Order: sequence, then C-alpha cells, then structure tokens
Amino acid sequence: MAATDATVQQLRVPVAETRRVSAGLWSDAVWRLRHDPTTLVAMAVLVVFVTLALGADFLATSFFHRAFSQQDILSSYEKPSLAEPWQWLGTDELGRSQAVRLLYGARVSLFVGGFGALTALVIGLTAGVTAGYFRGWWDDVVVWLVTTLNSIPRLYLLLIVGILWRLEPFPFAMFLGLLGWLGICNYARGQTISLREREYVLAARTVGCTPLRLMVRHIVPNILPLIIVLGMIEIGQLILTESAISFIGFGIQPPTPSWGNMLTNAAQYLSKAPHLIFPPGLAVVVTVLCLYLVGDGLRDALDPRLRGAIGTRR
Amino acid sequence: MGRFIARRLVQAIPTLFGVLLLTFLLSRLSPSDPVKLMLYGNTEVTQEDRAQLYHALGLDKPLPVQFAEWLWQLAHLDFGNSIYYHRPALDLILERVPNSLQLSLLAFVFIVGVGIPLGVIAALRRGRIEDHGIRVFSVVGHAVPEFWLGLIFVLTFAVQNRWFPIGSMNVVGTDCTLCWDRAWHLVGPVLVLSIAGIANLPRILRTEVLEVISQDYVRTARSKGLSEQAVVAVHVLRNALIPVVTSFGTILLLFFSGQLIIERVFNWPGLGRLTFEAAVSKDYPVVQGAIIIASTLLILSYIIRDIAYAWVDPRIKVK
Repeated sequence: MAATDATVQQLRVPVAETRRVSAGLWSDAVWRLRHDPTTLVAMAVLVVFVTLALGADFLATSFFHRAFSQQDILSSYEKPSLAEPWQWLGTDELGRSQAVRLLYGARVSLFVGGFGALTALVIGLTAGVTAGYFRGWWDDVVVWLVTTLNSIPRLYLLLIVGILWRLEPFPFAMFLGLLGWLGICNYARGQTISLREREYVLAARTVGCTPLRLMVRHIVPNILPLIIVLGMIEIGQLILTESAISFIGFGIQPPTPSWGNMLTNAAQYLSKAPHLIFPPGLAVVVTVLCLYLVGDGLRDALDPRLRGAIGTRR
Repeated sequence: MGRFIARRLVQAIPTLFGVLLLTFLLSRLSPSDPVKLMLYGNTEVTQEDRAQLYHALGLDKPLPVQFAEWLWQLAHLDFGNSIYYHRPALDLILERVPNSLQLSLLAFVFIVGVGIPLGVIAALRRGRIEDHGIRVFSVVGHAVPEFWLGLIFVLTFAVQNRWFPIGSMNVVGTDCTLCWDRAWHLVGPVLVLSIAGIANLPRILRTEVLEVISQDYVRTARSKGLSEQAVVAVHVLRNALIPVVTSFGTILLLFFSGQLIIERVFNWPGLGRLTFEAAVSKDYPVVQGAIIIASTLLILSYIIRDIAYAWVDPRIKVK
C-alpha cells in the first residue's frame, strides 16, 4: 500500500508540472520564463526603472519638490543625507538634487537606448533579410556597408557627428541606431541565407508567393525571437555608448541631464564631492546588467538549444 | 600563405574606400559653411569675394571631383594642417600613435594572459564555484562602463590613496618609454582597458573547451596515459583557441573605442586624447585624420587577426 502511494506521489508531481504538449513557441517561452527567477528579477528591476523614469515629472513636483534644474548654491556639494527626499543622493556643484537629476537622466538614457535599439532593429532586420534573400549586388552593398562601419571605431564616428551637429536626444538616438544595426543585420542575413533553401520556403514560392510575402510571413517570424534578444542586448550597448559619448561632452548636452553627462560633472569635482560619481554609474551598471540578463533569459526561453550560442557582447 | 595574405589585403581596399567616403560625406553634410566661418564678423566682404574664396578652396566644384582631389591629397599623405597647432595633422597623429599602441598591446597581452586561464578553469571546473564566479564576473564586466571604472580607480587609488599617479605617462620632467616610472603610470589604464576583454574571452573559451573536451581524440589522448595537463595544453587548448581568435575582432573594436575614453580619464597622451582635444577645439582636419588613421589601424589589426586564424587553423586557406 505504502509502495503504491509512493508511486502515485511520483506520478502526480510531474503531471502537475507538465505543460501542454502542443504549446506554441511563445507560450512555451512564457512557461520557461516563469521558472527562471534571475530573469524575472531583472525584468522587475527594469519595469521599476522605466516607471520611475516615466513618472519623473510627477515625482519631482509632488515627492522631491525640486525641479531637475533648480539650483541652491547654499547647499552645494552636500553629501547624501536622509533629511529631505531631494537630499537622498546629495547635491552637485550648483546644489541641484542628484536624486531628481538621476530620474530625469534615466528618462534620457532609457529613451536613447530603447529608441536607438528599435531603429537598429528595423534597419538591421530589413537590410539583413533582403540581402540574404535577394543576394546579388544588393547583398554585396550590404556586406560592404557592414564591414566598413565595423572598421570605424564607433566613438570616433560619434565624435565627428558631435562636432558637426548639436544633437537633441531624439536625433541622437537615431544616429546611435544608424551605427548599431550591424550585428542584427549579420545574424538576420545568415539565417535568411540558410532558411531560403528550406522546403517550406520553396513550397511557398511554388504556389506563387511574392518575395515580400515570403520574407514577411515565412522568414521573419522564424528569426524574430533571437532578433528580439539581440535587440535587448543592443539597448544595453547603446546605453553604455550614450554614457561614454555624453561623458566626453559630445552626446546629450547639458542642461538636459543624462547619466553620462552627470558623470562628466562628477569627474570634474572628483576630489571635492566623490559621492557624485556613484549613483549615475551604478544606474548604468544595474540597467545594462538587467538588460543582458533578460536578453540571456529570453534566449534560453525562446530556444533552449542555443544556450550559450550568442554572447552578450559582439 | 603569401597568396592568402595578398587576397586579404586586396579585400581591405573597398573597406578603406568606404571609410574614406563616409568621412568625406560627413564633413560635407555639415551644416556649417567653412567660408562663412572664415569670414565671421567681417562686414566688408562682397559677394564676389565670397565666390572667389569658394573657388580658391575648391568648394564650387562638383562633389565627386572634390572627393577625388581629396583622395589625391591623402595619397600624398597630405591630411591638411591642424587649425589649432598650425602643423600637419598627420605629424601630430603619428606622434601619438606609439603611446596608444603601447597601451593597447599591453592590455591585449593582459587580456590573453588572464582570459585564457580563466576560460579553461571555468570549463574544467564546470558547475563549481569557480565557474559561477567567472560567469558572474563576465556578465558584470560587460555591463560596467569603462570610463566609470577608470574614475573609480582614479578616485580610490590616486586621489584618496596616493598609490598610483593621477594621469599622464611620466612624472613631470622625465621622459622614458621603458622604465618603472612608465610602468607605474600604465597600471590604471591597462587594467581598465582590459576589463571588457577579460569579461569576453573566458565566456567564449569556456564553450569551446567544453565542445573539444568531449571529442574522441581527447579520450584517446587520456587513454594512452597522457597527464591531464598535457591533454588540456596540447590537445584541448590548441583546438579550442581557434574560434577564440575570431573573437579578437570584438576585443580590437572595443579597444579603439575604449581608448578614446580611457585616455581622457587617465590623461594619456595617445591618439584618443588627441582626437578628443581636437574635437573640443573644433580642429576638424585632425579629427578627420585621426578617424582615418584609427580605422586603418583597425583594418590592419583585422588582417593580422585573420592571418593568425589561418596560421592556427590551416583548413581556412582551402576555403
């Protein structure tokens, strides 16, 4: 009797955990994600950051009672203190609240990363899939563009752009996207080249499918999951690039705060107010780390066979 | 091998052409008119004078002609004169290149020296504490902005504790390339410049070692009585390193971008700092020249990487 009970127990536990056999790609992925605490925590952190960034105006007026540009010369270089919410992270050389500026910086940095990665994704996917599908001269042009752009150090290129134009966050994000599509394009192109030889693509072509429909309906859905993962990683890369180029003064221009240009300030007053360099830097590290973790987690969830196949940094 | 190198060099020509074309187009797309800038604040200039100046500068010619003339100048190593230093831009750039190379080569040696053992340890101690530790370091290392790490290094080791110099290459008044003073100045920038590579390399190597270690010839090597060290060093590592050589491309690209920032943080008088300073003073010929030289160096390092790849893996030449 006891033995039978044990067998029933053994049988019952896996049954409760088994998912539907015919689950589709996405519901399968959601199931796997639910069992991946690291990715879930990283996602939660990102959601909190995005919410805080979106609510920056509201928080600044009703919680911190400070605008990001509000100066208070009498309380400059203050160390972090718990006295008032706006003093939590200390103040900079003009007595501006570091906490409020960090919130507005999050807005700029996340927007630049997100929008830039979206631009990169659209360009990379379009160029990669069409190049891989049509081959011929168009493929040569795309490959030539990718190799050329890969041969110019990104920051040098951004520096020259920074001299010629004073960029607002929106066009700046676009520029970053224009330089960041190379990896996504390479992946999309390679996958398309191998997918277009498959039987189902041939079958679709036989029944008179137009090239556009073939690419949109039969090829893109097959490569989209990993493209999204690459996109997540690209957001992180672009946030790092933005912080670096803003740090040397050729990205987002003050008074608009971004995590990068807040660090420029911090570097100038390194010996006088060392506390200023930690919050913006840590914000970058935590955000980018979470984006990479979510990217890794999504990759494992969408295609467990590829575990470890794509690095977080190209 | 000679044919392979020759073919690889020929392949680099269109890439270099693309770099030059892009640099040229960027300067022409600029909204600022050079003639207006030159005559800024001068009220006595007539329309005819302007036209004459345009003609003298060659700006009235069609774009392709201008591009061809510019290429002709570059072919004669004429990169224009620095607006700020009143010296040929190329001389300024070439003076700084060795300083940057010293930094990069040391960082590269450091990455390989630390990264390879870490990757092998992670694979051999798979699933153990060492493996997890290296994994965490890799992920975090990817997410940390280099310049921020540099700032923290300066803050802790140069400002709060005076263990390392705050910047530059030598103590003021001395000038030497191979001496303890220089080594002392190199510690910070080399460490910080290496972080991204040290995070990158073990990750790739770990996957490759795990792949190779399950091959039949490794089992054969073990079963014929070779020591574990000999198996790993001769049979596993030699084969696992082949794909790693490809990943050096990523490290190289990171280097050239990283330099710009690291040299700024540590005040290292290399190509990156020159470019940055030229950009601040709007010294366009120097910035343009620096981009061309940096890209050429990058293309050359890609070629060297590919040659190294063909050398460790002779199969590549057949393709």
